[in-house]
Amino acid sequence: MGRGLRSTGLATRLTLALGAGALLLSTVLALVAYGLSRDALVRGRERVAVQQAALGAGVVDNALLGPQPAALDLDALLVGVTAGREAAPLLVVEGRSFGTGLSAEVPPALRRQVLEGSPAQQRYRVAGEAVLAVGVPVEGGAYFEVTGLGELDRTLRVLSGTLTGAAVGTAVLGGLVGLSASRRLVAPVREAAAAAAALAGGRLQTRLPPTEDPDLGVLATSFNTMADALQGRLERDARFAADVSHELRSPLTTLGAAMSVMQSRREQLPPRSQQALDLLATEVGRFGVLVEDLLAISRYDDLGGGPPLDLEDIDLPELLRHVLTGLAQPATVLDVAPAADGATVVGDKRRLERVVTNLVSNAVSHGGGVTRVGLDRHGEALEVAVEDDGPGVEEADRERVFERFHRGSASGRRGGSTGVGLGLALVRSHVAAHGGTVHVEPAPCGGARFVVTLPAAGPS
Amino acid sequence: MGERVLVVDDDPGIRLSLRLALEDQGYDVDDAGSGEQALQAFAAQAPDVVLLDLMLPGMDGYECCRRLRAVSEVPIVVVSARTETPDVVAGLEAGADDYITKPFAVPELVARLRAMRRRARQPDHDDAVLAGDLEIRPAEGVVRLQGREVSLTKTEFRLLCELAASPGRVLSREQLLERVWDYGWFGDARIVDVHVRRLRTKVEPEPSEPRHVLTVRGLGYKLAT
Repeated sequence: MGRGLRSTGLATRLTLALGAGALLLSTVLALVAYGLSRDALVRGRERVAVQQAALGAGVVDNALLGPQPAALDLDALLVGVTAGREAAPLLVVEGRSFGTGLSAEVPPALRRQVLEGSPAQQRYRVAGEAVLAVGVPVEGGAYFEVTGLGELDRTLRVLSGTLTGAAVGTAVLGGLVGLSASRRLVAPVREAAAAAAALAGGRLQTRLPPTEDPDLGVLATSFNTMADALQGRLERDARFAADVSHELRSPLTTLGAAMSVMQSRREQLPPRSQQALDLLATEVGRFGVLVEDLLAISRYDDLGGGPPLDLEDIDLPELLRHVLTGLAQPATVLDVAPAADGATVVGDKRRLERVVTNLVSNAVSHGGGVTRVGLDRHGEALEVAVEDDGPGVEEADRERVFERFHRGSASGRRGGSTGVGLGLALVRSHVAAHGGTVHVEPAPCGGARFVVTLPAAGPS
Repeated sequence: MGERVLVVDDDPGIRLSLRLALEDQGYDVDDAGSGEQALQAFAAQAPDVVLLDLMLPGMDGYECCRRLRAVSEVPIVVVSARTETPDVVAGLEAGADDYITKPFAVPELVARLRAMRRRARQPDHDDAVLAGDLEIRPAEGVVRLQGREVSLTKTEFRLLCELAASPGRVLSREQLLERVWDYGWFGDARIVDVHVRRLRTKVEPEPSEPRHVLTVRGLGYKLAT
């Protein structure tokens, strides 16, 4: 029970509690009111009946004690005594009964008691209707008056019906009040829940509107304080990576420029210094790419969905040709299916260039070189596939290879142009920002096949 | 005598390394560590091109760029660690001709400087073009709007001449990037957009409703005939 109640919502519980409380209270009040009213009505009726019976008995007694009792027409006397009233008389004298109707069935116990000399009264039912019999001893017998209580019964039934209706009505009203109160109570909680969900979903600017209500104000204030703190913290974390990248750009520029001065005098250096210089040059280059990738990827953290794309219509085969030329790859690796000839996407040219560059660099660094760059069209989707001749990617690594700083298993390290694992993570972020997907599968002739799917612009 | 380059950067390492690298390439190099020094050095040395860092102590690079532009049409290449669109656009709006982001390779920088120099030479075609009340005389380096001479930077002038070379024909942003800035296919088309905006403030009577340099949505720009 407790478990069932607890699993029920606060709103439902409040509604039920207020409904039940109202029902209980109104029922008790109705019962008390009914009891008191009934007692008062019944007692009043009885008192009247007893007085009437006593009067009637007095008249009959006088007649019986009169000078010629034997000559009395008792039936006529009885009719006279009760004339104008609803009571039915019954006179029992010397073993003979006079009277009609209701009075015929006065219970034997009551008869006996009154005949023995003590007045008495009793309520009972005749043919389903309540009656009241009042008996008074008279000279040589007993006088009864039997009064129908049907009228009183009906009054009481109407009263109980009214009270029951009022009790139920009050309970329903209580429930409705509970429902509306709980709705109003629960609404801010729902709002807070929706705001929390939005916050968790990455909309860091989500806040609860300020409210006048001091109780709800506490909730709104502390929620907003929490959201501020969370947003501040996330932004600080993301900005840290961006700041680090920015700060590294100036020394990298100096390194690069100084390096070029030394490289232009390479021939004047002893062989060991030349080796060291080449090593420095390679690493400075890698370092530069890493800083770029780090900055690019931290922007995705910073802004949730990433920085806005500089959108334009891009001729995808043209983009692939330019990237391959820039990376000194032979034009023959490009294989554009007829269906994809001249296909365009709406995208950010420089980010898509990074996607293809990173995939091709990855194939060169870890896959033994690019064997094929395919472009095909499947309905509304354009599919760029970069295939290599390397050892491929093991099934267990096919998802993780797109994680940041992932280092492949024994079959060879992958992770992008830098060799430290941001290249493919950046590919996934850029592609996702374009509404596309990327995955890796085995190439038809061995090696790995990285497949990027992008939504095509316009009809084919 | 080589071309004079003024390097403005608050990082002494960058100033020294660029001086060494550019002197190797035959340039005469002056440097300045702040915007104020840059304005003094500019007045004293009259360099042929300015390499300007945007993040400077005191007067920032944008302000320095505007002040240089106010007194001279010298080519300015903004050098910045910031690549976000608003920063790049703000640098170009301040009057820069081109931008390059740190870290860059020296050959890349030299290529940008050479492209800038080529731009300063007279265009290949020198027929005068009359487009409405706009008169373009490439051979004389003169542009007149409603008969009054308009002062354009070398880049703005070159951009207008490229559009005027084939009046009424649409040139894509890529084509303009290649012809005016010597950029390849992956050049930043924002440079073109900002320069067109700047050009319009000078050659359009009503820059918000251009009548001469028109945008052809999704294709590029053209000069109205």
